[in-house]
Amino acid sequence: MKAKSCPPVIAVTGGKGGTGKSTVAVNLAAGLSTSGLKVMLVDADVDGPSCASLLGLKLEAGKEVKTFLPVIDEKKCVGCRKCVEVCPEHALIGLQGEVPRLFEELCSGCRACQIVCGHFAVREGGKTIGIIYTKSADGIMLVAGELTPTEPRSPVVARATVLHAMSELQNGGYDLAIIDTAPGVHNTVAQPLWVSDYALAVTEPTPLGVHDLGFILDLTEELELPVGIVLNKADIPGGLKNELLKTAHERGVSVVAEIPLDREVLHSYIAGIPVVKNAPDSPAGRSLRYLVSLVGKMMEEGKI
Amino acid sequence: MKEIVVAGGKGGVGKTTVAASLAVLLNRWGLGVFTADADVDAPDLSLTLGGGKTVFSMEVAASRKAEVDSKKCIGCGGCLQVCPFGAMTKTNDGKAAAVALMCEGCGVCKLVCPAGAIEVKNTPTGTITVEETKYGFMCATGKLRLGEHNSGHLVAMIRNLARRKAQDTGSKVIVIDAAPGIGCPVIASIAGANYVIAVTEPTPAAKRNLERLSRVVRHFGVPAGVVINMSGCSGDLETALKKWVKHELGFQVLGEIPVDYEVVKALAHMTPVVDFNPDAEASKSLMSIAERVREML
Repeated sequence: MKAKSCPPVIAVTGGKGGTGKSTVAVNLAAGLSTSGLKVMLVDADVDGPSCASLLGLKLEAGKEVKTFLPVIDEKKCVGCRKCVEVCPEHALIGLQGEVPRLFEELCSGCRACQIVCGHFAVREGGKTIGIIYTKSADGIMLVAGELTPTEPRSPVVARATVLHAMSELQNGGYDLAIIDTAPGVHNTVAQPLWVSDYALAVTEPTPLGVHDLGFILDLTEELELPVGIVLNKADIPGGLKNELLKTAHERGVSVVAEIPLDREVLHSYIAGIPVVKNAPDSPAGRSLRYLVSLVGKMMEEGKI
Repeated sequence: MKEIVVAGGKGGVGKTTVAASLAVLLNRWGLGVFTADADVDAPDLSLTLGGGKTVFSMEVAASRKAEVDSKKCIGCGGCLQVCPFGAMTKTNDGKAAAVALMCEGCGVCKLVCPAGAIEVKNTPTGTITVEETKYGFMCATGKLRLGEHNSGHLVAMIRNLARRKAQDTGSKVIVIDAAPGIGCPVIASIAGANYVIAVTEPTPAAKRNLERLSRVVRHFGVPAGVVINMSGCSGDLETALKKWVKHELGFQVLGEIPVDYEVVKALAHMTPVVDFNPDAEASKSLMSIAERVREML
């Protein structure tokens, strides 16, 4: 999916939802862009995209993500049932001698039916299951994938988004890409990690944060992807910072930055302006700027 | 028996916090509760309820993955051309190899392989378990294997298991804690349920994701109400949000939960906040929300 000559790709992930993945991704993009780098920001949380909201952007036109849907040509179909038998999702049904019926919501668009049909009776059809928006603002190119509500196939849209971004990246003009992933450790998250050179796992010092961090570290380990932890809401009252640091230490992963609990994060979030621009000298703004300089330095040293 | 799904669109808005407290309260009021954690990526409900004792566990092997026999592969690249999921790669010796993480097991590669080098095999999807919580009620949960894509399937199995066990135990309500997002596992949680509690917070990103969730909820014809968490942090935005929920989405606002660090402390103690500190502001809101849910039941 990604050529070796491609600029570095950093994934911002974390396991649990709402830990601050998008906040970190957007601020990293804004900070690195301010320091003179050409940044592509990819929103691969196609179920719950929020990068555009955090940048105060309205998304307009985009490229449709389409999947294949078979259209059976009744004149050509001989009712041999080969397509019915081969369909892995059982989306086609029909008796011998009949033109099969399609259950659209079951179809994965794999084209097995089209491949086995010896009579060219399976014609090309398609449906839109998502949109990939692109928008340039403040020196950041945002590539945001969105699943169409009521469609179930998020991994397909996430993959199309990542592929689109990677091909744009290879065309040149960018110094790096930052990918904001969905919560969790499923396929939709694994695909962006697959093309990344480095991951930041954003977590919070709660039992759930500690619990879910373990899962994402299992995934980065399986993908042999270097990872650093960003501890968000680090000083939350009643938090379990020590427990989290212990888990990180046991897993041999370092905490690269800590972001304190800070109202400015929420204010910036609501205003649609990154904290590093809206409140650069607030406690969280300073931590995020430190993370920006750290990532910049790692890139200079060729570590990412 | 009624199924109530706690969903939210965006991650981290407080779905599990609401689900855990709701379950504890409805159970305390004698409704006979069964819980199901449908976030098979990050199953946190039983942890929030204090951790459970496993009383049932089952491996699920519903996934399928392609495997290439490199001895038979002739390196024609046909499978790379047709794989709809980008799961086929070429190794250094020019042979094809399937990347398990990407493969959805459709078997198209096998169909086009002229050398008969590809097999599609059943592989593990994850596990489903039932745990007994310290409150006496059960929690059906599951864990998807890393990088898997069959989460909807696993959620459907958890829901079926919960329904069966709830019937056995005479439970009247199943509280389902859904995954973040609006994709396959969320659709599998919502379709055919009796009510959806959509948890949100007064921020533009959460609002946008609530709107997306509302379209899924309406598509499946399930009635819904909204809980606004982290209330009081954004002033005007919240007033506008409430109006929008009522008039644009046509959902009722079940209640607002204020920003309250007792919620975080309760979480650290792995106890639902309504049990940890019943006098906390958040607990009072959760009690009135649960009361409204009870009336509806």
